[in-house]
Amino acid sequence: MSKFTRRSFVKLTGGAVAVGMTACAGGPSIASNYKHRVVVIGGGYGGSIAAKYIRMADKSIKVTLIEQNKHYYSCPLSNWVVAGFRDIEVQKWGYEGLKGHGVDVVHEKATKIDAVSKTVTTASGQKFHYDRLIVSPGVGFRDLEGYDEAASHAMPHAWKAGAQTVQLAKQLKAMKDGDPFIMVAPPNPFRCPPGPYERASLVAHYLRKHKPKSKVLILDAKDKFSKFGLFTGGWKQLYGYDTPNSLIEWVPGGEGGKVERVDAKTMTVYTGMEEHSSSCINVIPAQKASPIAVNSGLTDKSGWCPVHLDTFESKLHKDVYVIGDSSAAAGLPKSGYAANSEAKVCASAVVAALNGKPTPVPSYVNTCYSMLSPDYGISVAAVYKFDQAKPGKVQKIAGGLSPSNAPDFVRKQEALYNESWYQSIMADTFG
Amino acid sequence: MQRKKIRVLIMVGGLLAGGAMFGSSNAEAGATAAMLADTCAGCHGTNGLSGGPAMPTIGGMKTEYLQAIMAEFKSGERPSTIMGRIAKGYTKEETAKISDHLAMQPWGNATSAHQSKNRTHISSKLADQGEKLVKKGKCEKCHEDNGMAQDEDTPRMAGQWVDYLIFKMHDLKNKDLNVPQPKKMAKRIKKFSVEELEAMAHFYASQK
Repeated sequence: MSKFTRRSFVKLTGGAVAVGMTACAGGPSIASNYKHRVVVIGGGYGGSIAAKYIRMADKSIKVTLIEQNKHYYSCPLSNWVVAGFRDIEVQKWGYEGLKGHGVDVVHEKATKIDAVSKTVTTASGQKFHYDRLIVSPGVGFRDLEGYDEAASHAMPHAWKAGAQTVQLAKQLKAMKDGDPFIMVAPPNPFRCPPGPYERASLVAHYLRKHKPKSKVLILDAKDKFSKFGLFTGGWKQLYGYDTPNSLIEWVPGGEGGKVERVDAKTMTVYTGMEEHSSSCINVIPAQKASPIAVNSGLTDKSGWCPVHLDTFESKLHKDVYVIGDSSAAAGLPKSGYAANSEAKVCASAVVAALNGKPTPVPSYVNTCYSMLSPDYGISVAAVYKFDQAKPGKVQKIAGGLSPSNAPDFVRKQEALYNESWYQSIMADTFG
Repeated sequence: MQRKKIRVLIMVGGLLAGGAMFGSSNAEAGATAAMLADTCAGCHGTNGLSGGPAMPTIGGMKTEYLQAIMAEFKSGERPSTIMGRIAKGYTKEETAKISDHLAMQPWGNATSAHQSKNRTHISSKLADQGEKLVKKGKCEKCHEDNGMAQDEDTPRMAGQWVDYLIFKMHDLKNKDLNVPQPKKMAKRIKKFSVEELEAMAHFYASQK
């Protein structure tokens, strides 16, 4: 250590500067080389894209991504894992790519947003100052009688991918042949509108092969659902839907499908009229914005976060933006692709605002595939614009569903396009 | 060699033009090219570089080609699973912006990312067979340099995702779909069997 060359001195001071810069992330008063600071909470389909695209557009902005998990497990395509024809490892992504774009990734849980002092606090007590904050935390669950933390292990929701997905797959595999696979489907609005029905389809595909005496029972709070005609049409084609031997039974809310309470000890769910028991129950509770958004005063009476749809800036807190499932983005679905699109609109609005430029004209797209079997894919797609005269809702310009009479080869192509959608959007998110 | 040099020059020119384009954003001009083109990335990858296996890479393709295909999707002349629904959402001017932006991006060959089992792996046996068939069909009359070359009505095929090329071969061969294609192309498609066309897809995908 005593041999002090010029080179080692430079190295040392360089190191000190680096430490100083890291520390200043917490200290609002210490200056750094960056002109502006953006903090992003949540490293999923929305937050990761916002962080990456801000850095791609303007390297003078310091971007800190606060994400509690070291790895991200994608919800899209996780129903394939539940049905046993996809490895959970293919759903797993890391944050090295974002670091490559110069995003500072902090693996901690964000616990508090102070919109007055413009700081985010994490579980360990670290504070991060921001000029602009982007919140993309996913969804939270509303209360359902009997459904607490312990019950969520016995009756997995698998609506946040990872351990929950694996748990549900395990329970399906262990389920007694002849037991029903019971799914409690949530009321609108919720994350991934076609998701429960894709899951029901793929579980039916699994049951036919592995538990021929079992069937899927969907207890739904709603009377209709996303891609309704395509799902029920496909179920007729593939699973004998609407016949006495149907592998899928769907009970709409109007016919007593709404589940009022659950009992994880007896593995029973109760609707107003009936009770149903099984060794495998998938409870997808009603949803609202994530707790961090609720606790930070970003939500209104609806339980979701009202935002200006051309920027995604909160209507309740200045300089705070909410994207993805937690936002009340009227006109756009709560989908991974919509979160990706919202993140890009938000990123360009934030970059423009920080550089003193007018709000850019936004453009949005949603594309969402669902599977009815491993060889049967369907899709919905739409292009949206923002109309200054109708700022309350994003306007759909064009789009629509896969045709109801598409031949088998088209269903098969869409199944592989679904995999491709996933690979490209994940490369866009984490690459 | 000369051709390659020209290609590089065109690319550099494109990049410079791209830099100028980023700055021009105001309400009258509508959404910027980047804003519009970035919405494609969810399926076609960042800057049009697809993550595969069946979604084509479109970054680095010729703007004239991309604009023509989008116009055909929009009119319904060109059959598609999903692009017809999406293309209707853009004006001709917006499609031109998107295409110009994607055309400026560098081409990237398909990779072998970790993916599910549902993908096709390039078979060297089929690729060898495909090479002979490509010669037999004199495909290089348009698809020069083993599919590496491209112009306004010829897409690059070398290094494209093999499952995409296979899908397109099937579509071209499918009489019910009526895929728009030049007569000389239709003549060749007619001449070869689906299996032979698949082998040719393996050949073009194997070229990097």
